[in-house]
Parts: sequence; C-alpha cells; structure tokens
Amino acid sequence: MSAAVVDAGVRVSNVSKSFGADGARVKVLDDVSLTIGMGEFVSVIGPSGCGKSTLLKVVAGLIDADGGKVEIDGSTVRAAAADKRIGLVPQSPALLPWRTVLDNVRLPLTVNRRANAGRAIRDPKELLASFGLGHAMQKYPGQLSGGMQQRAAIARAFVFDPAIMLMDEPFSALDEMNRDQQRLGLLEFWQSNRKAVLFVTHSVPEAIMLSDRIVVMAAHPGRIDRIIDVDLPRPRTEEAYASDEFRELERVVRTALHEVMGGAHV
Amino acid sequence: MSETSTIDATASMAAAELADRRTRRDAPSARRAPAWLRPRVWLPTAITFAVAAFLWQVVAITNPYVIPTLDAIGASLAGDPAMYWANFLVTLQEVVIGAASGIVAGFLLAVVMAEFRLIERAVMPLVVVVMVTPIVAIAPALVVAFGFGMMPKYIVTALVVFFPMLVNSLAGLRDVDVKALDVFRTLHASKWEIFRDLRFPGCMPYVFAGLRIALPLAVVGAAVAEFVAAGQQAGLGSLVTTSAAQANLPVTWASIALLCVMGVLLVSLLAVVRKRVLWWSDGEVVAR
Ligand SMILES: Nc1ncnc2c1ncn2[C@@H]1O[C@H](COP(=O)(O)OP(=O)(O)OP(=O)(O)O)[C@@H](O)[C@H]1O
Ligand SMILES: [Mg+2]
Repeated sequence: MSAAVVDAGVRVSNVSKSFGADGARVKVLDDVSLTIGMGEFVSVIGPSGCGKSTLLKVVAGLIDADGGKVEIDGSTVRAAAADKRIGLVPQSPALLPWRTVLDNVRLPLTVNRRANAGRAIRDPKELLASFGLGHAMQKYPGQLSGGMQQRAAIARAFVFDPAIMLMDEPFSALDEMNRDQQRLGLLEFWQSNRKAVLFVTHSVPEAIMLSDRIVVMAAHPGRIDRIIDVDLPRPRTEEAYASDEFRELERVVRTALHEVMGGAHV
Repeated sequence: MSETSTIDATASMAAAELADRRTRRDAPSARRAPAWLRPRVWLPTAITFAVAAFLWQVVAITNPYVIPTLDAIGASLAGDPAMYWANFLVTLQEVVIGAASGIVAGFLLAVVMAEFRLIERAVMPLVVVVMVTPIVAIAPALVVAFGFGMMPKYIVTALVVFFPMLVNSLAGLRDVDVKALDVFRTLHASKWEIFRDLRFPGCMPYVFAGLRIALPLAVVGAAVAEFVAAGQQAGLGSLVTTSAAQANLPVTWASIALLCVMGVLLVSLLAVVRKRVLWWSDGEVVAR
C-alpha cells in the first residue's frame, strides 16, 4: 500500500463528537486534531469525563465522529479495521473465561482470517512467554491474577501485529504496586517492539514513564489543551523515576492538569 | 518512587508472577470428595424424608380412603413393573421430544430476536399472549385438533418449555461483555464469528438457568396433556386420571411418584451437564 509509506501512523483531524438528544446535546469532543507517528507512544491525560475514552473509541472505529476525519496509515478506520490493523486493550481485560490464556491470545488470528494474509503474525506462545505468562498458557483467565489477565489482554492485542495499539487505562484496575510492575513490563516490551500507541491514563508518572508525548485534555467540551513532549532518553528503566528531568516533567504535567481543571486539586 | 530501583523490568515482572501464583484460584480440574458424602450434608435431608414418610403412614393407616400406605404403593409398583415402565417410557418420550423441540425453538427465536430488534418488537407480544393463556385450557383444544396421539402432547410440552428458554436465552445473548465485544469489533469480526466465539458461549449460564425452569415444566406439560386425553393412550398422566376415577389409589400414587422421579432425574442430569459445560462461570444466573 503506497499510502502507508507516505502517511504512516494515525492522523486525527478536527474530530468532533456530541452525545444526547437534539434538545440537550453535549459536545464531548471539540475539534480534536492529533497525529501519532509510527512507533510513537502518545498518552492522553485529563480530568474524568473530558472525552478520553470517546477519542479512543473514535480512533478504534467503535463510535463514529460527527465531524472531522481519522486516518490510519492513510486509510479510513473502517478499512484499517477490516485489515486488522487496530489493536485494542480495554480497561478490563475482557478475556473469554471459557478459553485458555493461549486460546484467548490466539483469538484475533481466528476471526477475520482474510486479513491474516501476508502479515507478521507472532507466535502466541513466544509472545506469552515474553509477557511472563509462559507457565500460564494452558490456564483459564479465572485462575489468573488481575495483573496477569491484563498482560494476556495486551499480548492478545500484539499477536496480530497491528499498526496502532489503543489502550484505555489498561492498568487502572490494579493496585499501585502491581500497576507499576505491569507498566514497566509494557515499557520494556514496547521498547523492543515499537508500535504507534494511543494510551489513555489517569496517572501522571505512568504517562511520563511510557510516552514520547503527553496530550493534556480539558473538559466541557473535551478538547486538547496542550501537548507536552517527554524527552527522557530511551530505553527507559525504573531508574528514570528518580531523575531530575522526570520530576521536572511531573511538575509540568501536574501544573497543566491543574490549569485545565480550573485550579481544582488534581 | 520505589525502593527496588535497581531491579530491571524483567525482574519486576518475575516478581509480579510470583505474587500472581499465590493469588490464583483452584484449577477447574481439582477434585474434592463430593459434598453429599458428608453426613452434615445428607443427614438433614434423610431425616426430613423419614419424618415425612412416618407422617404419611400415620395418615394412610388411619384414613385408608384418603391416601394409600407406602407399602401398598410399593406393592403396586412391584406387582406390575412392566406396566409402569411402559407408561414411564411413553411420558418420558413426550417430555424428551417436546422439551427438545421447545428448547431448540426458544433458543433459535432468541438468537433471531437478539440480532433483529424489529422481529422482537413484532413477535414478542404474540408470544406473551400465547404464554399467559393457561396451558390446561389449550390442551383439550389441541386434542380436538390433533387427536389422541402423541402430537398434542409434544405440542403442549414444547409450549411450556418454549417461553422460559426464549426469555432466558434472549437475556443471555443481550448480556454480552461489551469490552470483549469492542475487541471483536476492532478486529472486524463478522456477526457469525461474534456469535460463535462470544455470544453463544457467553449466554450459556442463562440458557442453563432457563433449562432449570423448563425441564420440570416439561414434565408438568406432558402430564397435563395426558390428563386431557386420558383413557386413550398410555403414559403416567393417563394412569393417574384413570386409576383415580376407579379409586385405585395405590396405582394413582405410584404413577405420581414416578412422575416425580422423572423430574428429579432430569434436574439431576441437568446439574451434571451444567457442571461440565459451565465450569468457567462463577455464579448461577437467576432465571427470569
Ligand atoms: N454513549 C454515550 N452517550 C452519552 N454520553 C456519553 C456516551 N459516552 C460518553 N458520554 C459522555 O461523554 C463524556 C466523556 O466521556 P468519556 O468516557 O470519553 O470520558 P473519559 O475522559 O474517558 O472519562 P474517564 O476518565 O472517567 O474515563 C462524559 O460526560 C460521558 O458522560
Ligand atoms: Mg474513560
């Protein structure tokens, strides 16, 4: 596909979206424009209800925008989905409890098979092993802890080698210690498997640790307030948390959030 | 941020795994001794039955025209087992064929309704009207229409099973994990793939809840249909009415007992199948 070479990555142009009946429409996304380059990790952070999930769902093709346009590698979202180029990691792992972990990770390969042709499909077993789930492949989701389930869900999204990975607060259901371990695990995996990622989060350190850029959204209507570049060197490890640059970025992001929330406490 | 800052990401994932291993649940294959083997479990039940049997005997001996003694019932069963067995099989056949048709029809209509709301809106009111009509009233009309053969019995049995199957299956097909559905949709899975891999297995807890209601009802349906066509065909329900008309109480109560046994067998079989099919589901769905 020649367009892919010209226009790789995700381009969100002037997207708007409102919810509600005609009389009481609420604007949730207002003229949102954003690009995510190939192999770029972009986080979206903002107050609750500002439209982060809505933006992610528009990019995933799960809801249609009222206006504007989303392109993935130069084609429409619909075409990208038909071609299985979108990987989704929802907020809950959403694994199928009647399938083993391995069969859950294989799932994307067994639906819409037409799109399997000529792509770099990963070996589900190898993938699970690299997510530290090698011993759990034949187990069922109900036998796994929340952290392991979420890793399986991430492996499920990586297995068919999508062009863009969409993650909506994938670690928010985990406790803080587990969260930190899962995010470092994702960081490590992603650093050796670079993909365009749109990552919604509520956690400032998480956004800084993982991202190349942080999109700060404001609410009512949901819009992009500013985009903060994270120029911490890669590959990053846990040690980055302790650096002065990290602390400075944390201050910058928190200030931005403070401002978009109208001075309310973050 | 953390005191373990020297540990790299791989090591921390390994640590996470260790923590995971401690919290994981029992494997589905792990077997313990069946609960009913413990006296705490079976003894209360056994005592209740023994007391009930004793009271029954007291009433039966003092009022011989109200109920027969248990030993008279037993003697009747032992006296002509072939006759009872033949009648049992007739009723069982009605239950199996009627229930199977009702189950399949109810589930299929649920699938169609789940996919097309328009069809639900069009058909559901009619279904409800049919279902609030007392089955005891429909049965004689069906006998007139289809004669005294097996057909009206199949139809009555299927009818009583149909509604709980339809309502529960529909609820199950609707109660899909929306996050999982989102994953299927971003993969551009077809409607058929979503049904095969998500909706169908996902609705099974509801289907079994429906079956738990439907199977005992099927026995009721078959018996009621036989009452109406009594005297013409075999079957435990017919046996109840004909023997009661002749005040042959041991036969009446032996037949009732066999109907009861049939219901218990069906429900037990269902429980066994449910355990094999639904091991992954953590709770029983409350039937509607
Ligand atoms: N399907 C819908 N119908 C009506 N309103 C909706 C719908 N989906 C979202 N909204 C509204 O749109 C706004 C943005 O929702 P969204 O879920 O995108 O927020 P969010 O930024 O992800 O919030 P959170 O951080 O709490 O997850 C909210 O006010 C929400 O009530
Ligand atoms: Mg959200």
